Amino acid sequence: MASLSEEVLLVVKKVRQRKQDGTLYLMAERIAWGPEGKDRFTVSHLYADIRCQKISPDGKAKIQLQLILHTGESTTFHFSNESSALKDRDAAKELLQQLLPKFKKKANKELEEKNRMLQEDPVLFQLYKDLVVSQVISADEFWANRLGDMNNSDPTPYNNKQDVGISGAFLADIRPQTDGCNGLRYNLTADIIESIFRTYPAVKQKYGENVPHNLTEKEFWTRFFQSHYFHRDRINTGTQDIFSECAKQDEKGLKSMVVQGVKNPLVDLLSLEDKTLDEGYGVSTTTPSTSNANRTVKESSNAAIIKRFNHHKVPFFFSSETSSTDGNSRDSDFFQPPVKKVRLQEAIEYEDLQRENRLKTVALNLKKSDRYAHGPVPLQSQHYTTSQDIINSVNHIRHEMVNYKPNLTQVLSSTAASSAITALSPGGVLMMTGTQQAINQMIPTEVQGELKHLYAAAGELLRHFWSCFPVNSPFLEEKVMKMKTNLERFQMTKLCPFQEKIQRQYLSTNLTGHLEEMLQTAYSKFHVWQTRRMLRKT
Amino acid sequence: FSAEDEINLLVIVVDVNPIWWGQQAQREPELTLSKCLDAVMVLGNSHMAMTRTNKLAVIASHCQDSHFLYPNKNWRGGDNGGEDASSSGDGKYELLSVANNLIAEEIRNVMTKKVEGRQTFLLSSLIMLSNWHGVSYRYLLMLPFLFSVGQEIKSRILVVKAAEDCARQYMNFMNVIFAAQKQNILIDACVLDSDSGLLQQACDITGGLYLKIPQKIALAQYLLWVFLPDSEQRSQLVLPPPAHVDYRAACFCHRNLIEIGYVCSVCLSIFCNFSPICTTCETAFKIQLPQMVKPKKKKLKQST
Repeated sequence: MASLSEEVLLVVKKVRQRKQDGTLYLMAERIAWGPEGKDRFTVSHLYADIRCQKISPDGKAKIQLQLILHTGESTTFHFSNESSALKDRDAAKELLQQLLPKFKKKANKELEEKNRMLQEDPVLFQLYKDLVVSQVISADEFWANRLGDMNNSDPTPYNNKQDVGISGAFLADIRPQTDGCNGLRYNLTADIIESIFRTYPAVKQKYGENVPHNLTEKEFWTRFFQSHYFHRDRINTGTQDIFSECAKQDEKGLKSMVVQGVKNPLVDLLSLEDKTLDEGYGVSTTTPSTSNANRTVKESSNAAIIKRFNHHKVPFFFSSETSSTDGNSRDSDFFQPPVKKVRLQEAIEYEDLQRENRLKTVALNLKKSDRYAHGPVPLQSQHYTTSQDIINSVNHIRHEMVNYKPNLTQVLSSTAASSAITALSPGGVLMMTGTQQAINQMIPTEVQGELKHLYAAAGELLRHFWSCFPVNSPFLEEKVMKMKTNLERFQMTKLCPFQEKIQRQYLSTNLTGHLEEMLQTAYSKFHVWQTRRMLRKT
Repeated sequence: FSAEDEINLLVIVVDVNPIWWGQQAQREPELTLSKCLDAVMVLGNSHMAMTRTNKLAVIASHCQDSHFLYPNKNWRGGDNGGEDASSSGDGKYELLSVANNLIAEEIRNVMTKKVEGRQTFLLSSLIMLSNWHGVSYRYLLMLPFLFSVGQEIKSRILVVKAAEDCARQYMNFMNVIFAAQKQNILIDACVLDSDSGLLQQACDITGGLYLKIPQKIALAQYLLWVFLPDSEQRSQLVLPPPAHVDYRAACFCHRNLIEIGYVCSVCLSIFCNFSPICTTCETAFKIQLPQMVKPKKKKLKQST
């Protein structure tokens, strides 16, 4: 149903859909059609869902507009107003033409973004497979946190579409084909037409003026290619040519730009001319010419080429200048000195050769630096010896060692030796820790890999679960309950089969103990919350 | 360059803390300091007997300082001749008997002479481990200059430890461990009484063996079995596996070993609890605590 806040952009009456009369409504985000006399819409499509539109060819009796959706479905509208059907249809078509591209990008952008994320991050892809494909959680939940910044106003750098530039040789690329009888056939595509319009704005203007009132498109382009405007020599002799005006316009434009001057104070365009030092160095201006006519022809053809060249280069030259002066273009006389200074400064300074800016540092002020010297040994020692003990011990030792003589034949008794050897042999007291192999050497790698995936999936689910607490909104309540069922489902569909599998492989180690512990904690938390909730309700 | 030219140096550092040994003599008279020294001597002799180019050094580590038992100032290098009639008369390889005599003599001096004048200082309730580590390492650094050019010296240190660690020498100790690691000097440890975390770290970092022996009277057997082979030979033998080392840090406030703690980002001191001001460098920190849920004023809940 139409919401009251939707803005209606166009209403077209007497539009038939499926042999029923009705009205077509174009709104801000969707197109809808309702039958005559009824209040509600039977057909409603979001612009984002529409892939493209088609119109019936001009000659046909029925004036129709067809919408093709991304899903492949199509809806056809028949404009049946006797007087204004064509106009209606065209109006609808143009509005759609403007609106569709806006929404198209958004829908594709999201899908593209999702695909890109999945492709770039294999862990994410695995998680997606584990959770969404096996239907543990829904795709929406999965993408809920991850596409957070998708809907922000500034798009990511990847999605910034740059304008496609025009190839410099595009005109030359329109290679004409001979059509057999001394004529040339040019193939024009929409891209080429757009390029021509962008390069020659005057031509665009002429097009707007003349087509389709005076000339058909075909005629217009034929004349364009025939005109000397297009050809290299560009001698503007013919005045019947509608394009000769374009040439004059271009010249005027160039001249005004030159006069306006470039904002860069270090460049003076007006002083550019051929300067000669002497005869033989550069162009000499005083050569007597053989014949005036020859010179004019030659000069004018040179001039034509030079003009053409300038025309091509001027937009680059002037546009780059205005962008780099940073708004100093308003009153160039007044602001001249700073701009010049900036320019000169830029030219003589290199950023990376400057001395590094030392960041302001704060001195380290240690009050108790002896703490670092203390090792990881508890401060209190376990033994407390009285001074008397110490004296006794020391005396005893002194007494013992005063007559020390090595007695190397009585160092070891055989029983002591054999018991020591037993302890040191494999299986002995001291050798026991060696048999404990690291757990990652005992478990095959596929099992390890599966365990990792299980951990990743469980971690994701648990993260969703725990983020619901504290539960202070009905949305969170629903979510927490859903997550609990998700966890249980995960345990049943993924964890238990895995456990059984490793048991069958006679691996006695408990690999899933920790996972189960985590799940149990979640369940008990849920249980506590649930009972508290029940108590609160009663 | 043949294996014969390679000199293998074994430095044995014996902990001769008189307080511990004196008490030990009263606790378990089977292993006294004399017996311990005998066992160490056996190991030293065996080491020197293995190859002609093996060298030995023995250091006694006392409470405050250390002493070279062998070689010491009375040792005149290889050329004893017949000057010193100190041979034991049992046909022993002369080098060994000379070494043994020197060791015995020096340890007598060390143990008898040191005690007077230090009694007052020793009257403390803490038992300290002496700074053996500094001395032995310095010795090892000097070695390349004592021998002629072209001789490679591979050295290792064996520490026979009796008393407990002293926490105050931690920094020196760690510096020595890392320097030994850089110089490829192994540090082995044979521990008689209580486990030493520092020595465990030393052995782990330098690649040596740490062993706490279950029977003190069989010390000689353990020394010969485990610590006589050098690092190349050890790879061919089945020896006790390395122990799990506790690398946990101790918090600066209580010196408890902690697994998870708070570290000041300015001075890197470790604390077990959050405090808004670091007590070492006096930097103030803010931490976002979870939002306190205001208790709702409601009817009394039924007590469960």
